[in-house]
Amino acid sequence: MTSVVTPLPARPAKSGIALTDLARMAMRELRAGLSGFYVFIACVALGVTVITAVGALSDALRSGFEAQGEAILGGDVTLARMHARAEGADRAWLDAQGRVSETVTMRTMGRRIDGEDQSLIELKAVDRAYPLVGKIELADGVDFATAVSGVSGTAAVDPALMERLGLKVGEKMRIGETEVVVAAAINQEPDGLIDRLTYGPRVFVSTDTLLKTGLVQPGALVRWRYALKLPGDTGSDSAALAAFRERIKREIPEAGFTVADRRDPSPQVSRTLERLRQFLTMLGLASLLVGGVGVANAVATFIDRRRKVIATMKSVGATSRVVFILFLLQVMVIAIVGIAIGVVAGYLVPWIINTLFGDALPIRASLEVTPASIGLGVTYGLLVALLFTLWPLGRAELVSPSVLFRDEVAPGATRPRTAIIALTAAVAAVLVVLAVYLSESRLIALYFCGGIAAIFVVFWLLGSAVTALARRVRRPRWPELALAVSNLGAPGGLTRSVVLSLGSGLSLLSAVALADASLVNELTSRMPANSPNYFVLDIPKGELPGFKALVDKEVPGTAIVEAPMLRGRLVKLGGTNVEDLKAPPEAQWVLNGDRGLTYSPTLPEGSKLVEGTWWAPDYDGEPLVSFEADLADKLGVKVGDMVTVNVLGRNLSAKIANTREVKWENLNLNFVMVFSPNTLKAAPHNLLATLTLPKTASLQTEASLARTLGKAYPAVTAIRVKDAIDAFNDIFSKVMVAVRVAGAVTLLAGALVLAGALATAQRRRILESVILKTLGATRRRILVAHFLEYALLATATAGFAVVLGGIAAYVAVEHIMKIPFAFSWLPVAQVLAMSLGLVALFGGIGTLAVLRARPVPHLRSA
Amino acid sequence: MAAPIIELKNVRLTLESRAGPVEILRGIDLEIERGQSVAIVGPSGSGKTSLLMALAGLERVTSGTVTVAGENFSRLSEDALALVRGRQIGIVFQSFHLVPTMTAWENVALPLQFAGAGDAFERARAHLTEVGLAHRLDHFPAQLSGGEQQRVALARALSPDPQILLADEPTGNLDTKNGRQVTELLFDLQKRRKATLILVTHDERLAAECQRVIRMADGSIASDEKAVAA
Repeated sequence: MTSVVTPLPARPAKSGIALTDLARMAMRELRAGLSGFYVFIACVALGVTVITAVGALSDALRSGFEAQGEAILGGDVTLARMHARAEGADRAWLDAQGRVSETVTMRTMGRRIDGEDQSLIELKAVDRAYPLVGKIELADGVDFATAVSGVSGTAAVDPALMERLGLKVGEKMRIGETEVVVAAAINQEPDGLIDRLTYGPRVFVSTDTLLKTGLVQPGALVRWRYALKLPGDTGSDSAALAAFRERIKREIPEAGFTVADRRDPSPQVSRTLERLRQFLTMLGLASLLVGGVGVANAVATFIDRRRKVIATMKSVGATSRVVFILFLLQVMVIAIVGIAIGVVAGYLVPWIINTLFGDALPIRASLEVTPASIGLGVTYGLLVALLFTLWPLGRAELVSPSVLFRDEVAPGATRPRTAIIALTAAVAAVLVVLAVYLSESRLIALYFCGGIAAIFVVFWLLGSAVTALARRVRRPRWPELALAVSNLGAPGGLTRSVVLSLGSGLSLLSAVALADASLVNELTSRMPANSPNYFVLDIPKGELPGFKALVDKEVPGTAIVEAPMLRGRLVKLGGTNVEDLKAPPEAQWVLNGDRGLTYSPTLPEGSKLVEGTWWAPDYDGEPLVSFEADLADKLGVKVGDMVTVNVLGRNLSAKIANTREVKWENLNLNFVMVFSPNTLKAAPHNLLATLTLPKTASLQTEASLARTLGKAYPAVTAIRVKDAIDAFNDIFSKVMVAVRVAGAVTLLAGALVLAGALATAQRRRILESVILKTLGATRRRILVAHFLEYALLATATAGFAVVLGGIAAYVAVEHIMKIPFAFSWLPVAQVLAMSLGLVALFGGIGTLAVLRARPVPHLRSA
Repeated sequence: MAAPIIELKNVRLTLESRAGPVEILRGIDLEIERGQSVAIVGPSGSGKTSLLMALAGLERVTSGTVTVAGENFSRLSEDALALVRGRQIGIVFQSFHLVPTMTAWENVALPLQFAGAGDAFERARAHLTEVGLAHRLDHFPAQLSGGEQQRVALARALSPDPQILLADEPTGNLDTKNGRQVTELLFDLQKRRKATLILVTHDERLAAECQRVIRMADGSIASDEKAVAA
């Protein structure tokens, strides 16, 4: 009789079990549900949310920026330059390209008619064609063309200025040498973003009115901008726009225009957004990595509870490899759940911001789902999940089937196979390479990765040290303290994971807070003692003696330092066109738009010669220039190289005679490029000056001097240094809010890990407290023991976090930003309070549950 | 006759379950004299362990009175009960229930510290020596065998010199040899200290070593026999 049962093969197929079968088994295993994995999912989801949200928000802003490029720019293309109006051939060329609108912007003073008050204003003069695109909205429905009519000397004014100077519609104000009537208040200016980094309120006048002010003099700091509406579809065709830009270079090569087109209306704003995106993505990655500790804890607990299952599988023939893949598949499915939640939540963030704060954004964000932003969140999520699960999974495959027959006595810390360790290292390396590759500032990204790794190592060591110390230290006689100390040293206790997760989050946050405090301190209270009170623009050369005499008469002892000031664009550096130069991001600003240029017979005060020699005071040979040493280095130019700048629509080349070190932070007159006098002296220009009042001068004296100067020199613009710094601080503080929010998410990830670790330990802690109750411990004793344990843990963690964060902030502030580090107690106190608060919150919830637990079920079931 | 050290009057314990209330103890009346050794036996679910937990003050009864060492448990707060346990009652569990984060020595010293003994560690060492574990003072529970763990638990239960020793299946998790050792130690220590021992067990031979055997069935006392050889 033949058997109906097919015999098994003598040995399993070489390929072993099929992956599909393993996947099916993994799914079966997951039928138990996701409980125990909530913290895992939350940790992954949180980090992915931040990364996706940053990408999505940046995409939304960029896409909004592009969609509204035409309106923001006020045309298809704009060409702008300082000092020189487009006339003659230049203007004819522009007119031949399409419809043209000319706008003129400059910084000047707006004054009350009685001269009692004045304010810095951003004056914008427009022609009749303005705006080519969009509409300027004025209050009370006043028509813009009527309000800013060509001849009647009227102006549309920012309401903030009206309030500041106490002006009403119909009243007059003085600009330069003329009086203008306030015709209406401005509600919205579509192309205002282009000139956004402004210090003063906007005033619109017609070009005719501007010419009457007497402010447009040769050498005055006036910016002429030409918006072009190209014929047909040229404007909306990307290739045609690119071709048009090439034509500008070819046909008017020496016009010296800075060109922008609607595809990227403000390269500077785009670049700032991009750098902010990269930085916030890094912080997102940091929170994902901190959450990784929670992932590792969850997997370790999962594996621990599955030891008997693993042993059973092995006892029925599963190999280590099968066990590894089986559990890896399960863990990855859970990671994908977290990633999916993170991606969806990440896309909700820009939507929520747009819904809640859409009006406050400089541009309308338009939601866009890009594969790049989703891909980045998913990739980082998968890599971090892998990084933190490989190790515990590697230990899972080593579980011995003998576990079924006897409980292991204190399962030791086994190390996974070498292959698994190598795989973990490879995943870490891929993460670092990806983070560095995707960053513009690769070195800073590398520092960041190094910093995160260092923080992890330090807190891992600290956790181990605290555990070891708690085990070794002689037990205190006070039983509550003894309990606390023994819990700190407990095998599989909370110490390591809490110190690691909370510590990394807190150190990042304290680094951000301390760096921020140093910056704010530098920008406000620690202004150099000899920093000037006023920057004065556009002092005509011939009027300097009179100006000086007036200042000296009004406030004797005021120090005046003046320098010739022109503005020009860098065209070529060392024979290479600046468009083709690959400059590091921190030196890119030199190549963008126009720079202040000056000349000097002698080495300017506060500068130090680094290389080369300074020219003789009466030098009259080949044009020479002195370049700032650090930037020369970054831009790859050296002494002997040629520099070409376009000034007043003319290209001008000079040889680098020397490089010099400049102390930018003392707020004195500093320039990247200082030319030999013979190079620029003949070009029409005004002077820039700093006024440093005697220390004894009161605020009233300062204000009175400004008024007197305003009356005597209506064309001169005085910018109060403190106001300029305040304006900068305002922008800076807004950026810091975003940085702090992203930093706080890292702490939130730490808190999640803490909650997870406490939840894992909860069963053990309840049993322990129940045992203690059977031994006669009151609830107060248990409460005190828990309190002491958490207080020791939080204090040690926060202490180290502050020290590490302080070191990171010190390195960033002193060595990268090159400003003095100022330690501040406030952020330290905040970090300590947050640490104690978080531990108290989660620990407190856990302890309450511990105290409420009924002893009997725990004593029976254990 | 001296007052009993344990006195239960009409004790009932009802617990809520999904299927409705379940009567665990149904009107137990019981008196136990000082120094007596009592075994509580009965099938699973008969209420043995619940009775023991009620005697330890770990389970509050639904009605009736539990008086242990002169204290009426129903009048005491949770913390007051903990204090009574700390001074008067030592408990030995089937699963040992040592604090895993503490060494054997620390585990035994713990109730002494709770009781405010200045020489808790010296006493704890003596107790561990008494159970033959002087060489295992600094071992964590996970580093000890089951028999050793139960001996530590025994030393810990007896360390504050309680009048009452409660043991719930003390040999249930041990092999025969270790079980024998622990049992001998348990009775020896009980006799030497003149403590009252109440022992829950399935093991009839172990029960037979006690002076009194109470049989439980379905939440009630089915029989209460005093051993002849007591």
